[in-house]
Amino acid sequence: MYIYDKYDQTIARERVTEFTQQVKRRLAGELSEDQFRPLRLMNGLYLQLHAYMLRVAIPYGTLSAKQLRKLADIAEKYDRGYGHFTTRQNIQYNWIKLDQVPELLAELATVEMHANQTSGNCIRNVTADQFAGVAGDEVEDPRIVSEIIRQWSTFHPEFSFLPRKFKFAVTGAPKDRAAIQYHDIGIHIVKNEAGEIGYAVYVGGGMGRTPVVAPLINAFVPKAELLSYLEACLRVYNRYGRRDNIFKARIKILVRDLGPGEYKRQVEEEWQRIRGTGIDIPPEEEARIRSFFKPPQYETIAEPVHSFVEAQAKNRSFARWVETNVHPHKVPGYGAVTISLKPIGGIPGDASTDQMRAIADLAEKYSLSELRVTHVQNLVLPNVRQADLHAVWQRLREIGFAEANIGLVTDIIACPGLDYCSLANARSIPVSQRISERFADLDKQHHIGPLQIKISGCINACGHHHAGHIGILGVDKAGQEFYQLTLGGAGDETASIGQLLGPGFSSDDVVGAIEKVIDTYLGLREKPSETFIEAYRRVGPVPFKESLYGGH
Amino acid sequence: MAVIDRNGPIANSWVHLADDAQPAKGQSVIVSFARLKNEHNSLFSASTAVGVEVVGDVVLEDLEPFLPRLGIIVVRMPNMRDGRIFSTGRLLREKYAYKGELRAIGDFIPDQARFLLRCGFDSFEVGDAFPVDSLKQAVATYSVWYQRATDRGATIIDQRTSGVS
Ligand code: SF4
Repeated sequence: MYIYDKYDQTIARERVTEFTQQVKRRLAGELSEDQFRPLRLMNGLYLQLHAYMLRVAIPYGTLSAKQLRKLADIAEKYDRGYGHFTTRQNIQYNWIKLDQVPELLAELATVEMHANQTSGNCIRNVTADQFAGVAGDEVEDPRIVSEIIRQWSTFHPEFSFLPRKFKFAVTGAPKDRAAIQYHDIGIHIVKNEAGEIGYAVYVGGGMGRTPVVAPLINAFVPKAELLSYLEACLRVYNRYGRRDNIFKARIKILVRDLGPGEYKRQVEEEWQRIRGTGIDIPPEEEARIRSFFKPPQYETIAEPVHSFVEAQAKNRSFARWVETNVHPHKVPGYGAVTISLKPIGGIPGDASTDQMRAIADLAEKYSLSELRVTHVQNLVLPNVRQADLHAVWQRLREIGFAEANIGLVTDIIACPGLDYCSLANARSIPVSQRISERFADLDKQHHIGPLQIKISGCINACGHHHAGHIGILGVDKAGQEFYQLTLGGAGDETASIGQLLGPGFSSDDVVGAIEKVIDTYLGLREKPSETFIEAYRRVGPVPFKESLYGGH
Repeated sequence: MAVIDRNGPIANSWVHLADDAQPAKGQSVIVSFARLKNEHNSLFSASTAVGVEVVGDVVLEDLEPFLPRLGIIVVRMPNMRDGRIFSTGRLLREKYAYKGELRAIGDFIPDQARFLLRCGFDSFEVGDAFPVDSLKQAVATYSVWYQRATDRGATIIDQRTSGVS
């Protein structure tokens, strides 16, 4: 993991001072709410329906056990004993008091954490593949470049008041687990024919009311020149992105209006001018940051690990959990465990203080003290010896997080929705809870196979419904909560946008509609191994429309 | 109205000239860009110093021919969320090598001064109620920064790689 040096520490400390002053000036009336709003947003502080919400950054989703323990303490001390892990790999607290924020930030800084740029029209927390460093298919650990971007974008003097928010995602593997083409800039680490590492840069993707899969703008930016290239990308956007209409202000609209070819040309022209002018970091600095992501000291373990094999043979529940929740590790004898924060009937992504502490203990004992947050709102223990998996599973059962449902129908993403969010049309969380209860039977879930349901409470699409195999969008219909269904979205390397099926369903009917969609799929799949998304891509929306709307 | 820099109030001899007013003899005037384009010959031939006020959407290529003769460029921030001013500053300094004074005016708040300074601005024109002390405090809050910008002082990366502490 990256460890702060004295400079990072200084920045963190000075940031707490700055925000403390800003809160004081707000409370004294020197800053109006309009003036304070961008400042507090840049510190992840939202005014929600009932209280302030604070979003704490978990850069590229990597967390130490010590940090998780601090997050648990904060949930206990400043919130109501809960934290909520988000699709941006961050954590949110929903019941925060403004005057306690400075103190809270100071506590976070003691474990090298902050809430910088987790909201507002600036460069947001960079997200990355949750299996960074442990996945076997990786060209390079995406956290190295993510940390480089984190530092470069922190309080960037030119790009802190962009037309709109700006999100980066990085993947280091051909299998895209970070949904990079749904981001303002998606970076894919690649190797060219000469074997050199560089970056394929996609620009102008996004969710929201105009979902766009980002076009490729540069197939190979040399490793040493990424920051100057990104600076050129951002400068063109900062100058020409629309500022007259909030719904047209994201970079995806600029790239669409200019056309990817013209956008690329403008970026290229600017890049040629600024290349080699000291924006890029020198190789020594890259090497310094890289050194923090060296693989830990793994043991040499011969596979198969007999105790592990036996435990699976003896215990069907454990075997099933291994099947869905343990990802192969590049080092023999290890596995990466995804802890499901989606217990049946629970709130997706929520963890209590006690649960966080228990997971921090597990990380310390079994995963070299490291954790990850996934953009599907789960946690990962990346480095577990196979021989320890059974013990980990047992402990997770005790805390209610051993659901063997990763990637299955109850592994749902849901935005906060009308329970918390002032922009919402409809509730998201209760719908996800009811779907989860309807499909609680694990045999049935495994029978259905891989299926991602994603729920947003309004068109802003924080629940990524466009990228859901089944997307659910809350709409307001004459003051009633209604839900539209989209099918066929995907957020991986085969990214696609879900298509609207037809008129929405009432809150009472939506779960039944989902069940019908799934039954239709089960009836038409060619074989059990044909997944929902594969089947949908083969047959299209018609059979689903027929079963839902009677074919008229 | 006051003009300040990072340390507080500074002397100012520039006056904003309305489009229908004529410069007095020896006056240093700031005119609109439209007027500069139309009347640059007569404006520059008078013995007065000339500056221009622009907003974020200014086409810098159009401004370029005048740059060597401008004593000041005032960039207006129409509202505090309009961040084009930062790119305008950097481009004027770094791409067009503008050497005169660069001043911000408009709806910025003290906390943005630090960024404006890093993007090539020298001074700020503010209303009488502007909290000057907060600006000084905001500018002084940070002792280090990560990224290169117009100000060429050592970045954190420079300090790390040169071993300076
Ligand atoms: S999608 Fe809409 S309702 Fe859900 S969190 Fe975002 S803004 Fe709020």
